[in-house]
Amino acid sequence: MIVAFRENVGGVLLACAELMVNPDCDLISAKDSDDLKQKMDFTGIDDVKVLGFRGTTDTTKLVKYIFGKQLPRMFQGDPDVEGYVSMILRHRSSRPIELVSFLYSCQGNVELLYSGKSVTGKKYYNYMRDVNRSYHRLCMFARPYFVNGVLSVKVDSPHRIGDMFCRWLARKNPDIPISVIEGNIAWIGNGGHVGLEHYTQVPSSLVGSLEFSNACDDIDDMWDMYYDSQFIPKRRNKNHARQLQPKASASMSKMSERDSYKVERGIANCTLDNFVSQSEV
Amino acid sequence: MTLMERMRVLSEGTKYDSCNQSAVCHAFGPDGRCIQLYKTLMTNACSGECTYCPNRCGRDSVRASLTPEEIVKITWSFYRRNSIEGLFLSSGVIGDAERTAEKQLEVASLLRGQGFTGYIHIRVMPGTPKYLLEEIADYANKFGVNAETTSSLNYSEICPNFDYKNDVLQRLQWTRDLINKKRQEEGFKGRIIGANDTQFVVGALQEPDREIIGTVEKFMDRYELRRPYFMSFDPVPSTPLENNEPSPLWREVRLYQTSYLLKDYGLTANDLDNVLDDNGFLLDADPKMLLASCSPDMFPVNVNTASKDDLLRVPGIGPVGASRILQSRPISSEKELARMGVVLNRARPFIEINGKRQTNLFSFAGVSA
Repeated sequence: MIVAFRENVGGVLLACAELMVNPDCDLISAKDSDDLKQKMDFTGIDDVKVLGFRGTTDTTKLVKYIFGKQLPRMFQGDPDVEGYVSMILRHRSSRPIELVSFLYSCQGNVELLYSGKSVTGKKYYNYMRDVNRSYHRLCMFARPYFVNGVLSVKVDSPHRIGDMFCRWLARKNPDIPISVIEGNIAWIGNGGHVGLEHYTQVPSSLVGSLEFSNACDDIDDMWDMYYDSQFIPKRRNKNHARQLQPKASASMSKMSERDSYKVERGIANCTLDNFVSQSEV
Repeated sequence: MTLMERMRVLSEGTKYDSCNQSAVCHAFGPDGRCIQLYKTLMTNACSGECTYCPNRCGRDSVRASLTPEEIVKITWSFYRRNSIEGLFLSSGVIGDAERTAEKQLEVASLLRGQGFTGYIHIRVMPGTPKYLLEEIADYANKFGVNAETTSSLNYSEICPNFDYKNDVLQRLQWTRDLINKKRQEEGFKGRIIGANDTQFVVGALQEPDREIIGTVEKFMDRYELRRPYFMSFDPVPSTPLENNEPSPLWREVRLYQTSYLLKDYGLTANDLDNVLDDNGFLLDADPKMLLASCSPDMFPVNVNTASKDDLLRVPGIGPVGASRILQSRPISSEKELARMGVVLNRARPFIEINGKRQTNLFSFAGVSA
C-alpha cells in the first residue's frame, strides 16, 4: 500500500502512526493537494491512502499514541515533539519521508529525538537547532520599515521561517499590518487592517499595493546616536561583541550592519563637529 | 538643544544602568553589552546631592530633559523597527521623588494607553510614595529603587538627601509586596512582572565585599531580590569623590559571580568566606573555582551518582548543566557532558565518570586550571 501524507506536523505524525500499523507501506509526501495530484498522476497508482489533507489533526493525541506518555529529557530551549517536527520541516535540507521513517524507528522512545545517539537522530537534532537559531537571529536583527504604513521586512533565511517571524512581529505590533517577504511570497500579519485575512500569504509583488497609513520612520540617525551613547569606552571588548553578533547576523539589516562596523572599526570619539563647537566656545 | 542632542545627553546618563530582561537582544555594543531597551533619563537636572553622581545638583554640566511625549515617540519608533524590546526609564530627582514618579507614571500610562505591549522598566527614586508605586505597578513590567550601598551610615555619606531605612528599604519591601500582588492577580493584562532588583555602587566607599555579599543575601531573603546589579565606582570630576580611586572592573565581575552563587547555587554568604581575603575583599579569581580548591575532600564527584547540590559545586557545571546531567544519566563520556554545556576544562579535575577520574596535565602537576 502507498501512503501519501502532507508535509506538515499533522501529516508527518499521521504517516508515522500509519507506519506503526502497516510497516511495509510505501510513503509519498506532498506540500498541498495540487502537489499530491501531480505526484499521483505521475505514478499512475490509485490505491493511495491520503493523510493530513482534510480537516485538522489532533497532534497532541498523535504524539501520545506514537511516543506514549513518556516525557522527553529535552534540554532547556528545545521544543516539544510537535515543535521538533515543525522545526525540522522548515529546514532547507529536510526530507519528510526520511523524517517519518526516523520517528518510526524510534519505536516510541522519545529520548532518541533529543539525545543525538544515532546518526540520523543527531542530524535531525542539529536541523532543529539550526532552524531555531535562524529564527532567533531574525527576531534579534531583522529591522522592518514602513511602506505605505505597512511594517515590512525582507527575510533571507535558508530555512522556511518567514511565517514564524511574521506571527512574532504581528503579535508585537497588533495595531498595524505586517508583511514579511520571503522570496516571491509575502506573509501578511494583522491583515484585517488592510482588508485581508488576519493572517495570510500573498505573492510578494502585491505587497507594494497594500496601503494602511502614511506612517513613516526615519530613525537611522537617531539609532546611531543612541547606539554610540550606550558604549562605555573603558570596557571595549571587541572579541566578545563579535562573538555575540557575528558578521553573518550583522548583514541581516543595514542598522545591524552599521553597528557591527562600529564594533570592528571602533567609534571615533570626536568628529569635525566637535572641533567646530569647541572653537565657537 | 535639539531633540537628538537632549536624547544623547540623557541616554549617556543611563549607560551604566544594567537592566537586562533576558529576552531578545537586538544589538551588541563594542563593549559586548547587549542593547535591548531604550534606556534614558527623563532629566539629568537633579535636586539630589549624591557624592558620586555626575548629575548631582550644583555640578557644572549640561542639563537636558525630555517630555513624556518625546520619550513615548522615541520608544515607539525604536520598537516598531525591532531595535528594542522596551523602555528603561530613570531620572534625576525633579524637585522631589513624588513629582519625579508622577512624570515617570505619565510616560508609562501614555505608552500603555497607545497599545504598547513591550517591556517597561521604571527605576523609581528613593522616597517614592506608596500610592504612586501602586499606580506604576499597574503599567510597568519591572520597577524598583537602587540601594546603592549596604547600610544607613554609608548611605548618608553618599546620598545625604535620602534616608536608607525609609526611602530605600521601605520601598524595596513595598516593591516586593506589589510584585507578589500583581503576579497573583488573575488576568493582569498578560504582562510579565519581573522580580525585585536593585543596584549597588561598588567602591565609592570602603565597604568590604563581605558586607556587600551579606547585604545581597539579606535582600534576597527579605525582599525576594533576584537580581542585584553592581556598578563600579568611577570618580567624576567636580564631585566630592573626584579624588577617590576608581574601583577595578574585575571586582564588579567577581561580585556578579558570587551573587549567582547565592541565587542559583544554593550557597550562603557564610559559605563564601573562603573566597574573601583577611579584610573581607574578594580575590581576582573565579570564586567557585576557589571554593572547590579549598575543599579537595569533596572531589572528585561521580557525575552518574552525585546529587544536584554536589554537581553544582563542580566548577564548569551550572544549574542548567546539572539538570541536564540528572536527566540524561547514565553518562558514559566527556563528549556527552560537553554537549550538555559543561565546561570540561574547568570541570575535568573535579569529576569522575564510571569510576574513572578525569584528569589533565594541569591537575596532574597540581596546578589549578
